Amino acid sequence: MLELDRVTLPEASEALRAQVRAFLAEHPEHLAEPNSDFTTGHDPAFSRKLGERGWIGMTWPAAYGGGERSFFDRYVVTEELLAAGAPVSAHWIADRQSGPLLLRFGTEAQKQAYLPPITRGEAYFSIGMSEPNTGSDLASVRTSAKQVDGGWVINGAKIWTTDAHRNHFLIALVRTAPPEGKNRHVGLSQIIVDLRNDGAKVRPIRNMAGGEDFNEIVFEDVLVPEDRVVGEPGNGWKQVTSELSFERSGPERFLSAFRVLVEFVRMVGADPAPHEAAVIGRIAAHLMTLRRMSASVAGMLNDGKQVDVEAALVKELGNNFEKWLPELTRLAAPADRDARRAWRTAYEQTQLLSPSFTLRGGTREILRGVIARGLGLR
Amino acid sequence: MNEQTNIIVDTATRMFADGVDKALLDAAETGVFPVALWQSVLATGFHSVGSPDSGTGLGELYAFLDVAGASAVPLPLADTLFANAWAGTIDGVSGIGEVAGETIVDVPWGRVAERVIGVVPGSAEIVVVDAVTVLAEGANMAGEPRDTVALPADARRISLARDPLPLLALARAAQSIGALRTVLQSALGYAGEREQFGRTLSNFQAIQHSLAVQAAEVAAARRAVWAAVDSLETDRAEHEVAVAKARVGEAASLVCEAAHQVFGAIGYTHEHRLHHFTRRAWAWREEYGNETFWQQQLGLHIARTGADNVWSFVTGR
Ligand SMILES: Cc1cc2nc3c(=O)[nH]c(=O)nc-3n(C[C@H](O)[C@H](O)[C@H](O)COP(=O)(O)OP(=O)(O)OC[C@H]3O[C@@H](n4cnc5c(N)ncnc54)[C@H](O)[C@@H]3O)c2cc1C
Repeated sequence: MLELDRVTLPEASEALRAQVRAFLAEHPEHLAEPNSDFTTGHDPAFSRKLGERGWIGMTWPAAYGGGERSFFDRYVVTEELLAAGAPVSAHWIADRQSGPLLLRFGTEAQKQAYLPPITRGEAYFSIGMSEPNTGSDLASVRTSAKQVDGGWVINGAKIWTTDAHRNHFLIALVRTAPPEGKNRHVGLSQIIVDLRNDGAKVRPIRNMAGGEDFNEIVFEDVLVPEDRVVGEPGNGWKQVTSELSFERSGPERFLSAFRVLVEFVRMVGADPAPHEAAVIGRIAAHLMTLRRMSASVAGMLNDGKQVDVEAALVKELGNNFEKWLPELTRLAAPADRDARRAWRTAYEQTQLLSPSFTLRGGTREILRGVIARGLGLR
Repeated sequence: MNEQTNIIVDTATRMFADGVDKALLDAAETGVFPVALWQSVLATGFHSVGSPDSGTGLGELYAFLDVAGASAVPLPLADTLFANAWAGTIDGVSGIGEVAGETIVDVPWGRVAERVIGVVPGSAEIVVVDAVTVLAEGANMAGEPRDTVALPADARRISLARDPLPLLALARAAQSIGALRTVLQSALGYAGEREQFGRTLSNFQAIQHSLAVQAAEVAAARRAVWAAVDSLETDRAEHEVAVAKARVGEAASLVCEAAHQVFGAIGYTHEHRLHHFTRRAWAWREEYGNETFWQQQLGLHIARTGADNVWSFVTGR
């Protein structure tokens, strides 16, 4: 794991890059607020357009609406969308992790029901892992589902659920049986909740950047049908941990602050001072290296390999990079107020979002623990 | 890596593991040239890896330098390999330095070199000195000889197909990722053995996290170097080298600092092997352009390319 594969993106994926750029150039109306954080733009119309293009569920089987394309193709499409600041939040989780989860563990009926609308950019999913008393220690979830006649009854609460107020479905990690002694990993299950029809109460929580992206969800005797359990009841821990590795290595883990670099380059112009040039070069050297690393992980996914440790490496480096990128530009920014305007907007937006970078998707400390395990230290 | 590279890497790894020990490294720092080690390099033909008629290319050359760096091999291998590739293979060692007036400075092992090549930053023309006169002996912070030799007016001049500076910078980066890999592996090994408070250091979360961060840096540095090597035949080569040299330098700073912390006082002793690797990684940051130098080159190019083309530059091939 100290050595990531020496992957070069295939020609076919590079050809796709030009198509994505052309598509984005044709749809400037969706790029009104340039920001490359993957959670800030929720735009169903845009997601449907991507679906029409075949750019959602790209690696999935055609039988479920997928494109049967490589992970490299998906890598290229996602990084192009993010770098342009495209509003990808609506379909993002469904495409990145809920779909692959259902594909791997879901029942045949679930795959047929949920996957095709995801690929069309019509069905959006949220992740229901965290709870008021469950953060990093995911196995401590208390939200429970009890089997009754005709389904499962859910009680408890989820929190920090990104886009639950705008999305259609939630995949909730719940306890369906008690732990066996000290083993808390047994008795956990994943259940699909229809956020619009099942009666779960969703309340947006305002974040410090002023956005209302994440939510609290309260379940009071919420009844869902039998067939909503993803795969087998009791298999939740295995499923949720496999899902997490999809979540960690993509370009959204190092591109959140990219627009700040672009505006910094615009601000300093074609004849930068030496220290300004050095800041640009430093950022670019990290960014270009992270891209290679992320593409290496895409290659491993393509080969069906286990990627949890490698994905954690990319997220660890990428999130730190996203955090210090704005800071480096701030310290090098020239004093001229007029010249600073566009950079400052991008900088301030990103700086306000930045505390979340090393929290969402597993905190920095948890990821370092994953890497340490990969190193044989624990 | 292809089959041939694998063979070179495996053979060289074994050869350097057997041939480079602490005593040899210490002796080299007092100016004793490791003759036997050099003889085994010659015997295997490794001195011509990357030369036109050797059947090997730059890919093999850089893979070999990574291995050499991992053992802190105290020979001017990068110099010798490039000199042989550019000016014809000879049986002695060569040194490469920078032209400064009527001298060539910072020549590794100039004192024993049978040939010295001078490079001029920004120029593809090199000067070749076949009869070497050493004017002054010196060393970098790793105790590697860095000498000043005379540049006679009638020195041969050769025009290369490309500016040699990026190739040499990448050589130091390749040596560095080898050294950093060794530093990390040593720190991992030590953390697993050393006990305090009744447990090995590897049980402490602070130590685990430090090693995780070091591992991430080493992985990034290594990926950056191979990306640059893979780009050498494209018109982006110089930019990719800039990325690699700058990124590796940053990794070196972080990894060496953190690894020394894991080792405690023992790693600070002269008797310990660690400093042979960390001092090299520190010293090599400065040779053929440090992080700031390459960041500025890269940043200037991007600034001239323009804000709306940053992304197409970053994704270019
Ligand atoms: C913007 C945003 C969006 C999110 N979206 C979602 C979502 O859609 N769905 C969802 O389920 N969750 C979501 N989360 C929640 C996220 O997964 C959690 O924030 C994360 O898992 C950490 O949990 P916590 O916030 O409760 O912090 P805690 O787990 O309480 O941790 C607090 C601090 O202690 C550290 N810590 C905890 N345990 C250890 C340990 N063993 N060793 C060392 N340090 C430790 C942590 O690293 C952290 O620094 C989101 C979070 C954010 C910020």
